[in-house]
Amino acid sequence: MPGGGVFSGDLDNVMRWVSGAGILLGLASAGILTTVLFRSPDWRVSAAAKWMLLIGLFLLPGVTMLFGNVVGFHKVKNSCTQCHTMDPWIADMKNPKSITLVAKHFQNRWIPDDQCYTCHTGYGLAGNVRAKIGGLSHIAHEYVTGVPEVIHIHRPFAVETCLHCHGESAKYLKIDQHVDAEMSPKILSGELSCFECHASPHPRTKP
Amino acid sequence: MSDGTAPGMPSKTSLRLTTAACLLGLVGLFFSLLHFIWPTPLNFALFMIVGQGSFGLALVAYAFAILKDLRRKKIL
Repeated sequence: MPGGGVFSGDLDNVMRWVSGAGILLGLASAGILTTVLFRSPDWRVSAAAKWMLLIGLFLLPGVTMLFGNVVGFHKVKNSCTQCHTMDPWIADMKNPKSITLVAKHFQNRWIPDDQCYTCHTGYGLAGNVRAKIGGLSHIAHEYVTGVPEVIHIHRPFAVETCLHCHGESAKYLKIDQHVDAEMSPKILSGELSCFECHASPHPRTKP
Repeated sequence: MSDGTAPGMPSKTSLRLTTAACLLGLVGLFFSLLHFIWPTPLNFALFMIVGQGSFGLALVAYAFAILKDLRRKKIL
């Protein structure tokens, strides 16, 4: 069965295993810490207690936290679709009749997974950290301050995101404007947005 | 004795720090288990901020407890 089975290498399945291991290690660690808490004070300074704390406070929770980050950063890539605010944009992306850039990328499987995250996260470590901080502000809006009626992108869409895939490709280089001596530096520096010439990736108003 | 404990017994400060480390560790583990079982964006944020934060504090508390004991035994 392609992509199925308990031992399949499918990423979601691997994450299930990592989650399961994290739960087991976390429970084992909680058991050790509870045991230490309920023992007498003089036992807590014994060599046995020190070994237990080494395992229950350093080793097991360290691995649990690591697994938590691995699972969290994987799952969070799909979290845009969990918020009803984004429903119209997701519907437009998945609409086979839509001609927006995002719909074309989805329909043609140019970005097969994690479509929102792929385009709205800058490449490299700094980009990802910025995306995480942005995600935290979205959570604050969702649970604390409320989502504004009209939503805007935080900063102008980075041209590097488009160029990461399209730049230097044969199709890109065939277009005169892309290689024009005057325009090319402006495109590469971000001074000239891709959307000056190309259609907006999403509908301009709420779909 | 600096904190009034009998010779051979752990210092009260060191015991308190160890207890605090265990409790903070349990808080951190609670949020990581919550996030593993219900991986929502909110639980992930709580795990990142509260869970890992209290786990970090637990490590600091236990490190201080060890330091205190080592100083008490005049190893450091």
